[in-house]
This record gives sequence, C-alpha cells and structure tokens, in this order.
Amino acid sequence: MTVIKSVTCPICGCLCDDIEVTVENNEVVKMKNGCAVCEGKFLGYKGEHRTKKPLIRKDGKLVPVTMKEAVHAAAEVLANANYPILYGWSSTSSEAQRVGVELAEEIGGVLDNTAVVCHGPSILGVQEVGIPTATLGQIRHRADLIIYWGCDPWSAHPRHLERYTNFTEGRFEKSEWTSYMTKLKAHAGNRKLASAMRIEDSKAKPKPQACYVGGSPPELSKGGRKLIVVDVRKSMTAEMADFFIQVEPNKDYEVLQALRALVKDKELDVDSVGGVPVEYLQDLADALVNCEFGVIFFGMGLTQTAGKFRNIEVAIQLVRDLNSKTKFMIMPMRGHYNVTGANVVSSWQSGYPYGVDFSLGYPRYNPGETTCMDVLLRDELDASLVIAADPGANFPKNAVQNMVKHPLIVIDPHMNATAMLGDIVFPAAFVGIEVDGTAYRMDSVPIPLHKVVDPPAGVLSDEEILKKILEEVKIIKAKNAKVA
Amino acid sequence: MITLTPLKQFKYPVYAECITPDVFQGKDIAEIANLPVNEGNQVKNLSDLFKIEEDNAATPTITINGDASEVRRIGIGMKNGEIIINGNVGMHLGEKMVGGKITVNGNAGQWVGGGMKNGLIEIHGDAGDYLGSHYRGVSEGMKHGVIVVDGNVGSDSGCYLRGGVIKIKGNAGPFLGYHMSDGTINVEKNAGPRLGANMIGGKIVVGGLAEDMMPTFTIDTSKPKVKIDDTQSAQGPFYVFLGDLAEDGKGKLFISKANNPKLKFYEKYL
Ligand code: SF4
Repeated sequence: MTVIKSVTCPICGCLCDDIEVTVENNEVVKMKNGCAVCEGKFLGYKGEHRTKKPLIRKDGKLVPVTMKEAVHAAAEVLANANYPILYGWSSTSSEAQRVGVELAEEIGGVLDNTAVVCHGPSILGVQEVGIPTATLGQIRHRADLIIYWGCDPWSAHPRHLERYTNFTEGRFEKSEWTSYMTKLKAHAGNRKLASAMRIEDSKAKPKPQACYVGGSPPELSKGGRKLIVVDVRKSMTAEMADFFIQVEPNKDYEVLQALRALVKDKELDVDSVGGVPVEYLQDLADALVNCEFGVIFFGMGLTQTAGKFRNIEVAIQLVRDLNSKTKFMIMPMRGHYNVTGANVVSSWQSGYPYGVDFSLGYPRYNPGETTCMDVLLRDELDASLVIAADPGANFPKNAVQNMVKHPLIVIDPHMNATAMLGDIVFPAAFVGIEVDGTAYRMDSVPIPLHKVVDPPAGVLSDEEILKKILEEVKIIKAKNAKVA
Repeated sequence: MITLTPLKQFKYPVYAECITPDVFQGKDIAEIANLPVNEGNQVKNLSDLFKIEEDNAATPTITINGDASEVRRIGIGMKNGEIIINGNVGMHLGEKMVGGKITVNGNAGQWVGGGMKNGLIEIHGDAGDYLGSHYRGVSEGMKHGVIVVDGNVGSDSGCYLRGGVIKIKGNAGPFLGYHMSDGTINVEKNAGPRLGANMIGGKIVVGGLAEDMMPTFTIDTSKPKVKIDDTQSAQGPFYVFLGDLAEDGKGKLFISKANNPKLKFYEKYL
C-alpha cells in the first residue's frame, strides 16, 4: 500500500494539487482532500464502459483490431481528407495537445477545442478589450470582494471557494467559513422556529438581499471578505452569498452596462434593469467601488446566454472602469481541467486559441467561420477526429448528424456516445491517473499531473496514439506525393 | 466582361480572392482560368471550379451565375469595376473594398463589406451577421461608402462603424451599430436588442419596433424627421436618445414614436 501525496485532480479547472491517493495492487483504494467529484473519478474510473482495444467499424459493427491496423486506417482517412475537423482536447495533457496542433497543420484541418461551446466567447471578449487578471494565489491572499456571475462553483467547481476565495485563509484576508456556518445555523434555527410557529417559510417574505432599498445593505458594509452572486436563479453558491442579485434570463448585458454607467456616476432614465431595481444596482456599484481588491468570476451564465462574447466584453469593460477607482480583476471559471491548456497550447503553436483553420496552409482564426460547430452545421467537413471530449452526447442534433455522415475517429478512455458513433475508436489511458502530463489551471498556471497507477496492458496515452497517427500520415502523404 | 458559372455545388469552403475586377483586368481568359483558388485544403485553378466565359463588352464587370454560397472573399479589396452575383454568395463579400460596386441578386453570408473603405454594395436579399463591421481584434468597421440590403440582416451589423451609410429595408438583429463612432444606419423595420450598445457617435434610425432599449441611453428630444443621406430622409416622428452613457457616448438613436408605444414613459423627461 503506497500513499501518494500532492496528486493533481484531473477534473475541473481548479486543478487542486493537494490530493492524497492510496494505491494498492495498481488500484486506487483510498482518497483524501478531494471533493466528491474527484473521489468519484479516482475510485470509479475503471468502469464497465472502459475500452481496452482499438475498434474499427466493419459491416456496421465495431470490431477489435490491432493498434497498427487502426493507426493506418485513421491516418488514411486524415491524410486524404479535404476539410477535416479535429475537436476536443480539453481533458488531455498539453503534451497531447501539442501533437494535435502538428497533426492539424500536417493534414490542413480545422483544429478546435471545447472552448467553442463554453468559454470561447470569453476569449473573443478578451481579444476585443484585453483582460485585467491575476493568479488564484493573489486572489486567495488579497481579494476582499468576490463576485460569482453566472456560475455556481459550489456545484461545478466544488473546492473553488475553499481553496481560492471566501473560505480560504489568506495572508491578508481571513476565511469566512465560520461566519458562513454561523449564518447557516441561524438560518436553520429561524426555519425551525418558523415551522414551530406554523408560519409559512420565508418564501412569501421578501428575500433579505432584496429588501434594503436605499442605504447600503448591512451585508455589503460588513468587514472581511464579501461574497456577491449574480445569477438567474438562487443557486447553491447564491445561498451562501452576502448579497444575491437575481437577473432576468438574458439580461446580464444590460445589467453590466448599467453598472458601468453607475460606476461612472451617471443617472439612468429607467427604474429597473433586467428585473433588478436601480437602487440595488447602485448598492452593488458602491460595493464594487469601495472594495480594495475585487474579482469577478464568470461562467457560462454569461458566455452562453444572449450576447455571448459581448457579455464578457462588457464585464471586462466594467472591470477596466473600476480599475480607475480601485483594484479589480476578472477571471473565467474554466470547466474541463485542461481547456485552458488547449487554448494556451494552440495559441503558442499557431497564434490562435481555438477554431484554427489550417486549410490554406497557414493558421487562420475567425470564430463563426473557422469554428468546428459552424463547420459542422454547414456540413463542410469530410472527416473528423474527436479526442478527450464527447460531442456525440452534447452537440446539437444537426451537428452530430453531419459529423457521423463522414468518417469519425475517436480517441477516448471510455466507450462514450461519440465512440459508439465512431468508425475508428482508440482506447486511451487516463491522463492524470495512468499517465503524467501538464495541465493549465483556470488562471493559466501550468500544473503537473501525476501517474498513480499503470494503464491496462496495450492501452497507450493520447500523446502516443496521436504521434503514431501523425507519423503514418506523413508516410502516406509522402507516398501520395511520389505517385503524383 | 467575364461570366463565371460554378461547375458544381460546392461542399468545402472556396476562397476565391482572385475574383475581383482589378485582378481580372488586362488578363486574357487563359490567364484568368489559371488563377489559384482554395477549395478545402486543396489549391485549384479557377477553371476547375467555374466555367469561364468572356463577352466583348469592355466594362470591367464580373458576373457570377449560380450558387456561390460557399465562395468567400469575392471582391476583396476591389478598387473599381463591378461584380454582379445572380444567386447566393458566401462570407466576406467586398472585404476591405475600396471602390466599385457589388450587386447580389440573392442572399449574402456574414461579414459583407467587413472593414470596407468605400464603394457600393447592394444586396437584393438577406445578409448575415457582421454586415459592414470590423474584423476580430480590429477596431475599425466600415469607413465610407454605402451598403443597401433589401431583406434582413443578422447580428452585430455596423459594429465599429466609422462612417458611410447602411440602409436595411427589413429587420436587423441584436447589437446593431455596436461601438459605432460615426456614420448612419437606417433600419426600416424592427431592430433587435442591445441597439447601439457602446455607441460613441453617429446615428441609427429605426422605423419599426426597437425590441429593447439599452438602459444606458437617455432621452434627448423628439423630431418629426431625420436625414439619412443626401438623397433620403426618414419620416417620423422619432424619439431621439443619446448614448451610450457607459462610454460617455454622443451617439443618437432615432426611434419611431408610432411603432414604440412602450417608450412613452420617457416623455416625462422631455
Ligand atoms: S474542485 Fe475540481 S479539481 Fe478540485 S478536487 Fe474537486 S473536481 Fe478536482
């Protein structure tokens, strides 16, 4: 039995690197420090859906073949494709992503990562106006105002608050965990009291965060770190916030723009914006201006609702305006553990973070034109390679239909929905559990991933599989050139 | 005059930067046939994709008959002459064009007249997103010239507009005239939400319904009519809004009074 310390969790963009894993007979048997999601993956990754042999579709059925056969078949498809797409890349190591860029260039394909359906708009927003940001370490030690806008870390990035924001003990800012627990207990006590007195629960009463009209709500003038949540519904994170603002769906842009005007001391002609009375926005604007180090974390509630990258653009512009009065930062809550790496590697290799089209022989980037979702919906592709993602399960129906019309190569540890639709399927080792690698945390800090157990016999890493395909593609292309 | 007819329905994107009167001028038909175009990741000759015919008229005109909806960058940077497309056309039509005229008897894709410097584009159909707008990472949209669209346009049209006139006879999508600093946009029918967001100058005239007003626009006055360009003015009465306050902008929105009764509450500030 060996205990391995400081293991990095390969799941979400928090990349917690303090996990303790106990291994016995090449099996993970015990976990420490990880959240429930982390334990779920480390203890349950050897599920029944694991693939261990390369498969090729013959007469409508996926049948096991040798690695050599599968590599050759995949390389044939890619080397002869006229407009292939290479999609995924977010749940694998940066080493594999680097080979991916080379492969895309070699075959003149469209290289895109899952950012296109999550934080791609954030990147577009950043490219329009720049981004004032910091590392999570800075935020942990110094931030006294945390805003989660359109995201719910308590559910999606479970240790974000605990490791980087309100519930962590920073050097200059203290943890709010005790005060949150007191609040929770008081809340539970109140509820008990209310039910004992047979009074209908607080539903009918105005929400505490929306009842302080005029003057600053006490929660916003308290000392210590403050937590503000802006969302369309009262999420789990909102439950623990000091101030919660509920915005009508698809109205974030208006609210952010109104905040910008209020921060600049402008008068608005309207009484409410996106369902929020201007008084509350004024309170919020005051809190923003009066903090010493504020940060906005935003999620897909901003990037994938009406306005998309313009929402991010306006949020960054708000942060820019605030920086003339105080110190403010903004950061996207990246989802997959290495989606940031996919953008970083793609940028460093090709100049562009996602949606890179190599078909003209040089990299081009124009989301809407060179992004794989648009290519799929316009059915311009003639082959696809999907790695470390599952578009078959979460892309729109028309896009998946167009994807499966053409040869589909899948590299994944699991028999996921895309693999089941695939024509050539490669089993891969789990990065961060069965192979080492590097991943980029949501603040673009690279963190090493560790191998804790061996992969099943014959199962290679994404990087090794891609290298084999790339080599074979080069051989086939050289042969084709000779014939021509 | 050269006439191009697509030889097939294109599946892969075709980048045909050579299809401009400036490139064709002075070349004989064999030279034109050998001009390179990209289809997917293959480089081809123009004659592999189009039937090329010439008639004796001396005008530097190119006519495309057929569906060119996958053909991109037609008329890129063109300085003079005329392109007529009888059918639909793909993205980046008249990208950064400097002069001349493009007519589309059909629909056009996104980025029509992107970063256009001057000239005239007429679309007798619908146009996609980013009409007369900027390219990503660049803060300059259309500078001079005129774009006329008979149908509807998509989102983000007239973004970062620096001058010129965009006339839309149908509806416009969201973020019309985003961050524009000069020039005029006239929408005869309805305009989508976030109209004129981040605007710092210029004017937008909406003859139909303005789906949503940005909270950062303040009412200034009302006007019976407004000038679009030297040849055209729009009949009101209009509410005139100033904004965008968040950018300390001096842009003007002219919104039809008759079609926007829900904006009546602004009258109390007049
Ligand atoms: S918060 Fe994310 S990275 Fe941290 S342990 Fe949980 S799933 Fe893993």
